[in-house]
Amino acid sequence: MMSPKEILKYSLEALNRLGAQKSQVNLTLTEKHEVNLEANEFTMVRTTFDTAIVLTAIKDNKKGTISINKSDIKSIDSAAQDVILVAEASLKDEANDIAEYQPSKVFSSGEKTPDLEMMYYRMNELVKQIKEKYPKIILIQVFLYHEFKESYFANSNGVGYVSNQGVYNFFAMFSSKDKEKTSSFNYTSFSLKDLGKELLSCGTLDILLKQLKEQTTTRPVEGKFIGDVIISPDAVNDILDFLTRSLSDNAIISGTSIYKNKLEKQIASSLLTVYSHPVSEEIYNGYFVTKDGYEAKNITIIDKGVLKNFLLSLYGSKKTGLKYAYNDGGAFVIEKGETALDDMIKLVKKGILLMRFSGGYPSDSGDFSGVAKNSYLIEDGKIKYPISETMISGNIAEMLMNIQAISKEQINFGWQVLPWISVKGVTISGK
Amino acid sequence: MKTIDLYQYKELFSAYTELRVQENTELNITFVDGNITKNSQSSTSGVSSRTYLNGSWGFASHAEISEEAIKKVIKEATDNAKFLDAKVNKRKGPLPSRVAHVEKDFSTKKARLTQKELIDFLKEIDEMITRKYHNLTSRRIILNTLDIEKNLLTSDGSYLKAMIPRTFIHISLSLIKDGEPVTVFDAYGGRGQFEDVFSSPSDFEEKIDELYRHLVNKSEGVLPDPGMKTCIIDAEIAGVLAHEAIGHTVEADLVLGGSVAAGKIGQEVASPLISIVDFANTCFGETCPVPVYIDDEGTEVKDAILIENGVLKGYMHNKESAQYFGVEPTGNARAYLFSDEPLIRMRNTAILPGNDTLEKMIESIDDGYYLVKASNGQADTTSEFMFGVRLGYEIKNGKLGRAIKDTTISGVAFDVLKTVTMVSNDMKWESSGWCGKKQPMTVGMGGPAIKCQINIGGR
Repeated sequence: MMSPKEILKYSLEALNRLGAQKSQVNLTLTEKHEVNLEANEFTMVRTTFDTAIVLTAIKDNKKGTISINKSDIKSIDSAAQDVILVAEASLKDEANDIAEYQPSKVFSSGEKTPDLEMMYYRMNELVKQIKEKYPKIILIQVFLYHEFKESYFANSNGVGYVSNQGVYNFFAMFSSKDKEKTSSFNYTSFSLKDLGKELLSCGTLDILLKQLKEQTTTRPVEGKFIGDVIISPDAVNDILDFLTRSLSDNAIISGTSIYKNKLEKQIASSLLTVYSHPVSEEIYNGYFVTKDGYEAKNITIIDKGVLKNFLLSLYGSKKTGLKYAYNDGGAFVIEKGETALDDMIKLVKKGILLMRFSGGYPSDSGDFSGVAKNSYLIEDGKIKYPISETMISGNIAEMLMNIQAISKEQINFGWQVLPWISVKGVTISGK
Repeated sequence: MKTIDLYQYKELFSAYTELRVQENTELNITFVDGNITKNSQSSTSGVSSRTYLNGSWGFASHAEISEEAIKKVIKEATDNAKFLDAKVNKRKGPLPSRVAHVEKDFSTKKARLTQKELIDFLKEIDEMITRKYHNLTSRRIILNTLDIEKNLLTSDGSYLKAMIPRTFIHISLSLIKDGEPVTVFDAYGGRGQFEDVFSSPSDFEEKIDELYRHLVNKSEGVLPDPGMKTCIIDAEIAGVLAHEAIGHTVEADLVLGGSVAAGKIGQEVASPLISIVDFANTCFGETCPVPVYIDDEGTEVKDAILIENGVLKGYMHNKESAQYFGVEPTGNARAYLFSDEPLIRMRNTAILPGNDTLEKMIESIDDGYYLVKASNGQADTTSEFMFGVRLGYEIKNGKLGRAIKDTTISGVAFDVLKTVTMVSNDMKWESSGWCGKKQPMTVGMGGPAIKCQINIGGR
């Protein structure tokens, strides 16, 4: 049986022998241990071992990619032959390329071996705490898993990286039941370096559970109005998804991004600064090497409202002539503001505290609409009542320009770090 | 997929155990404005085992499919079940079972096309678009294929060997109108491998003409007036209503998780015009888009009647939820990858057709919307659902009016379905999307056009 480095060497040689002028190989070995809960009961312990090899070949500027999850010689030989055929079938494109030479490096983070007893202990502790503190809560689905990934990257330009990453990941979805009345479900997730802290104290879990117990009685807002929306850290993701989509290859290459000509221009309020920090102490589930085989860099995407970087791949960069990001996106950090959340609420004349957004994908222009879930009506600076059957709509690009305040408080989810954001000018409609 | 005699490992099962070997094979070719931005194939295969001990499950999987790996996953799954059983000691009895032996293969019998021939097929569609339409800002053509091969043996005697493929070509057209990008897209295809689903690029000519017509209409479209409106949900997307509005709330695990459908069996929850069924594999004599014959717990499937003439009739079950509710399992336990455990998932969820025609339904509305294509959707424990609408038209005085821009509709399913006053006599299936619930899953969604009151987003 070959070692991971021998597998990489063998694969590159096979691709070279078969005629690839440029080639790259990515091998990832993953071991995962997971404890599961459903409907407040422990249900399953799960262990998975997986292998992933991605072979990329470029021949005469034509590119092909094959992914398999076997690392024996026969499978690699077969995949190498197939990827050459896939590449030969493609179209010539001079933007197809691989990373330039960089010195080899080994990166490490987190624990290699899971503490299964501690995983069970923390989950059991959570169940007991919720039973005592929030007896109406039903944990619909909860899982805590430890994942250890050994990733090896090599290409025909001599690049050679190794990353060893161990991380605990937690996901919970829950609802609240009071006799016949039921709440909307809510959910959250976070990543942890270790299990030193109780789960209830991590991310927004306690905040959401506390709110949910009072959400079995809701009512729609009355009529339609233009108001303010305070977006919770869990709901900020919807904005980040739109930004990612609009700043990445497909939208920039095709010209459908509203930000295609906006580099170094103001695209948001000067209160907003957004980073992608895949390599930082506060992000436990980041990455050290980009998919293209460059050492990942922390970048600023928006600096005081000004667009500083696209999220282009090597292909996207060469295709458009714009700068390569040295970053695959994700691991977002939004800089905290100067206003306390309580004060942000006090500043709202009429609006909502948006805890979860359930909506259709925003259009390319940023128009969005959807339901404000697990959310609250705010009037005259006070939270009034939990709402249901209330829709919000607006335009994300306009919303970014209309940011009024960003909270002092930040939530570290372990995979991103986000504050509350208050925006004005959103259409809110109830019954 | 590598053929393995699973029966040789049966003696290693020390408690109720499932042993599954599976391979998911995918292909993706993406053209963006004539450039191939993705040209890839992937294969994910391996073996998994799941063991049940007094109410606790243990699961293990390995990417290697060898005697050593199979023995290892059976042992690891058993050890995991023992670990949990020692902690929680649920003392639950044996699971119900309905065993069967099924072999099904939907592979094409035709010669397979090469990657080059597939690329040429897409290139021809791309060239057709550029030849006909010169004002597009961007065009995107994506071919996605997925073959799922499974081989399952359970300790209570069920056996499955199946190969279920699906193939879709997604086409997206964009133009810039008044400085704003406008996009329409659609998916074409269904169950089967490429050779059985598509025959010639020229078959796309009418589809592209229709898509372009919608693009031009949408570029001149308006944002809807938000609020409660009378709408016709077209047959193409009524299945999304069946899936999001009702389907998820009657998955037995969500019922146990607090769904509003708990305790409502036998109650009227919709108009008597509404009947909803989660079909296992066959609907009105035709094979469904995502046929399931034995689920991943080895249960011989049966159709799950969810709502009959407006009355809630039942939930979708796996073995464990069936045991809890004291009913028969329906065969809804499905796993996506070899390394995934089976969860309660929908199969082919559909609203049954009625007696009206779409034309009469449109004529019956003075002021409302006709909603034609959907994007993503989400359900809730309260049955308050939503889904995105990426194509629709105003209805004014019984006639179709201007197109509308992207929007979202929402409502409380048990309220919305009580407002249904007309149901069309035809039925369409949609199966290009994914359902997400810990794991992705292929599902079929079907139905006729529905006239109802629903909340629409807009400005």
